[in-house]
Amino acid sequence: MNHLSSETFRENAKAALADTHLRGALKNATSLFGERRKAAAASLPNWEELRTQARAIKDEVLWHLDQYLEEFVSSAEARGAQVHWARDAAEANSIIRTLATERKAHIVVKSKSMTTEETHLNDALEAAGVQVVETDLGEYIIQLAHEPPSHIIAPAIHKTRGQIGALFTAELGMPPTDDVDQLTSTARATLRDRFAAADLGISGVNFAIAETGTIVIVENEGNIRLTTSVPRIHIAVMGIEKVIPRLADLDVFLKLLPRSGTGQRLTTYQSFITGTKRSATDEGPDELHIVLLDNGRSRMLAHPVTRQSLACIRCGACLNACPVYQQVGGHAYGSVYPGPIGAVITPQLMGIEKTAQLPFASSLCGACREVCPVKIDIPRLLLHLRGEISPRKGSMAERLAFKLWALAMTSAALYKLSATAGRLLQRVVPVSRAWTNGRDLRPIESRSFHDLWSDE
Amino acid sequence: MKVALFVTCLVDQMWTSIGVSSVEVLRRVGCEVEFDKRQTCCAQPAYNTGYLDEARKVAQRFISIFEESKANAIISPSGSCTAMVRHYPQLFAGDAEWLPRAQSVARKTHELSSFLVRVLKKEDVGASWNGRLTWHDACHGLRDLGVRSEPRTLIRNVRGAEFVEMDHADACCGFGGTFSVKYPEISVAILDQKIDAIERAGVQAVVSGDASCLMQIGGRLSRQGSKVKVMHLAELLSHT
Amino acid sequence: MDVICVQLSPGVFTTCGLMSNEARETILGSIRSHLAASVPFDRLEQHAIRPENSVILSNNSDLFELFKQSVESVDGHCVITTDVTDALKQIITDLRPRRIAISDRVHLEGIEAAVAPNAHDMFSFDVGISTAQAAIAETGTLVLDSASERHRLVSLVPPVHIAIISASKIVETLSEALALLQSEGEISPAVTFITGPSRTADIELTLAIGVHGPQELYVIVDQST
Repeated sequence: MNHLSSETFRENAKAALADTHLRGALKNATSLFGERRKAAAASLPNWEELRTQARAIKDEVLWHLDQYLEEFVSSAEARGAQVHWARDAAEANSIIRTLATERKAHIVVKSKSMTTEETHLNDALEAAGVQVVETDLGEYIIQLAHEPPSHIIAPAIHKTRGQIGALFTAELGMPPTDDVDQLTSTARATLRDRFAAADLGISGVNFAIAETGTIVIVENEGNIRLTTSVPRIHIAVMGIEKVIPRLADLDVFLKLLPRSGTGQRLTTYQSFITGTKRSATDEGPDELHIVLLDNGRSRMLAHPVTRQSLACIRCGACLNACPVYQQVGGHAYGSVYPGPIGAVITPQLMGIEKTAQLPFASSLCGACREVCPVKIDIPRLLLHLRGEISPRKGSMAERLAFKLWALAMTSAALYKLSATAGRLLQRVVPVSRAWTNGRDLRPIESRSFHDLWSDE
Repeated sequence: MKVALFVTCLVDQMWTSIGVSSVEVLRRVGCEVEFDKRQTCCAQPAYNTGYLDEARKVAQRFISIFEESKANAIISPSGSCTAMVRHYPQLFAGDAEWLPRAQSVARKTHELSSFLVRVLKKEDVGASWNGRLTWHDACHGLRDLGVRSEPRTLIRNVRGAEFVEMDHADACCGFGGTFSVKYPEISVAILDQKIDAIERAGVQAVVSGDASCLMQIGGRLSRQGSKVKVMHLAELLSHT
Repeated sequence: MDVICVQLSPGVFTTCGLMSNEARETILGSIRSHLAASVPFDRLEQHAIRPENSVILSNNSDLFELFKQSVESVDGHCVITTDVTDALKQIITDLRPRRIAISDRVHLEGIEAAVAPNAHDMFSFDVGISTAQAAIAETGTLVLDSASERHRLVSLVPPVHIAIISASKIVETLSEALALLQSEGEISPAVTFITGPSRTADIELTLAIGVHGPQELYVIVDQST
């Protein structure tokens, strides 16, 4: 799989900026997404109130996450679901791989689940000889292309229709076309018999209701309904933060999520799945397994600023609003979760060793915070992470530069010489070339405002 | 009304006419302006780059200087610097000594246009300037301080000026402090969207409330040989 | 670490199931300890205000018209009628399907149809007909409860879905529908909300109708009940 690394974000971004197809696709996608979201939000006069309520519900859950998780699990188990706890990605994959092999599942159909992308589940299953078929159109496209997703809700948005047409011709022998309807119906026809043949269906979870043990999954295509009703076994994978207290709370989230994600009032289908069927002859799977994944999420609870990361409902609105994402797209981040939310959760989930650049890949403009349906203060989170990273991983030169800067800024005498300090900074940190490659630089004034004031 | 000017290190060193114009405008609307020469910086560069200890040292100096002022308000011609001061309480959370001092100084600090329109209720400062111009919403002023209508109101009252709203006036210019030099290619790519919008607006000048945005936008415009000028709101308002 | 998760019966785990318990305790323990670590920082934070759940009352007196408009706005077809049989016959005549599948709650006079075929057979049917247990006017949504009717696959697999909803079962808002789900005790194992035919915008954000779910949705509102 063609994975870029977040360690090389700078180089990834440069390459992305030189890719005209990509930039065209991104411009199209992010502006359409942005316009649709804006119109959908404007159509609800109480939009701001809904955001506040949603955040309040999430704050409540996160503050008592252990209790709500236990309530969810006991409600779900009482209805026949089998719940598995996975401390990390490896454990989650192991649980699912074991289930698949024990149940002799050869073909698995999957609906889109960012959580399973996070754990690289497909690789683990394929290594065990299980064929995994991605059924969400965007995921199907990137599976054919051997690429990771570039957006949280529209995985193939970095591709033009021409590129997708060429891919289908190469991989499926389809006559060349870039007609969207034809491409879609080819995917539908190709995947149809996979659903019928599949032994096991794997899905994600959008919301897990503690009160009833219900998992709620939303979609437009119908592949989630097929994945979760046709095969005899259904495995649902969810991060531990997906719990919400009551069924009634869904009202707020179902108003915010579709509008924020795609600008729709509601996505075509919502599936509410609670345990297993009541009798063996009923329609639906014989078994329901729910895998709860931690993988670093519980650590984020340790501080109010980081805890809000877990409020995310994976709508993707922040990606579309972000000037950086709009220019470089999702692959450059080298992470399953790109864009603003990716820049803050990736270092927390994966550790800062290889992800240290991500929190700095932002101009702190705040557009993400404005569009986030649950009011995550991403700029504040970015600053918090920068505060953890810089003192430890900042270059010697940079750390020294800021120590000198602080000296200059806290002494009137030194500040007067700060033009000199500025020149010093430029020698140690190559400021001017990075600036002057694309922009002219105003010369430092020969007389500062301080000097001018003294003249008065 | 006595105001203490916080001119900002960027204006002090790189763009003094913004400071001079700010003083002129404030005096014209009847304020007495004091300038404490001990002032340096609000600490934004260190704070934004993650050097919080250094940021605190510099913020403490700011607080110590400005809390001594008898002025009614601390005025800054920069949305981002004003926003930084408003964030001081977060920098000193849990610090029994500095938190209340930070809060008190933060409460008194205002961005120039917001001070003129919201506090002094002055929408016309007697300025005139001939030509077509547009406004760029600097991110911190817009999203942290809610400054959006105030500059537009002030501009619309400038005699002779034809105000044009450009596409995506509220989109980031790509500066972002050290981001502009840590990720210069991305910074310029974002900037070019802004430049395109400015060009489409067909204006002679683009006005903004933050010197950093003006340096970013102006730097690219001049590199491309554009005739479009950049102007700080204070410079426009002091023009007669 | 391989975890074998065979549940012999509720509450009885195999020896390897103990590993799952260990994971459970580790995760819950991690949650508790990290929350505890957060307390001093939280004391310094400002918490958001928690407002009351306010309801926007619409002044739409004609629920059925609103429902029809909402269904049509998501590319569904909607017919309001007192003669369901006739409406059904009209649609079927226009579609000319080769094979029709119906749920166990639909009655089709004089037209050949298979009642709730199994999953594998379902893929060869052209039209699926079911009723819906409720509907939401503000969004044009059908509510299908699998415990009341065998329509989970009939409403999903064939490329055309025809749904019959009794006018008396239409509620105005999403939150009313959510309340309905628990009105008769515990929520049923599979409830589905359907709003229009299936769609995607995964290619260049261009809308394409008809992906994995039905490509066409017909809703018949039965005003006779």
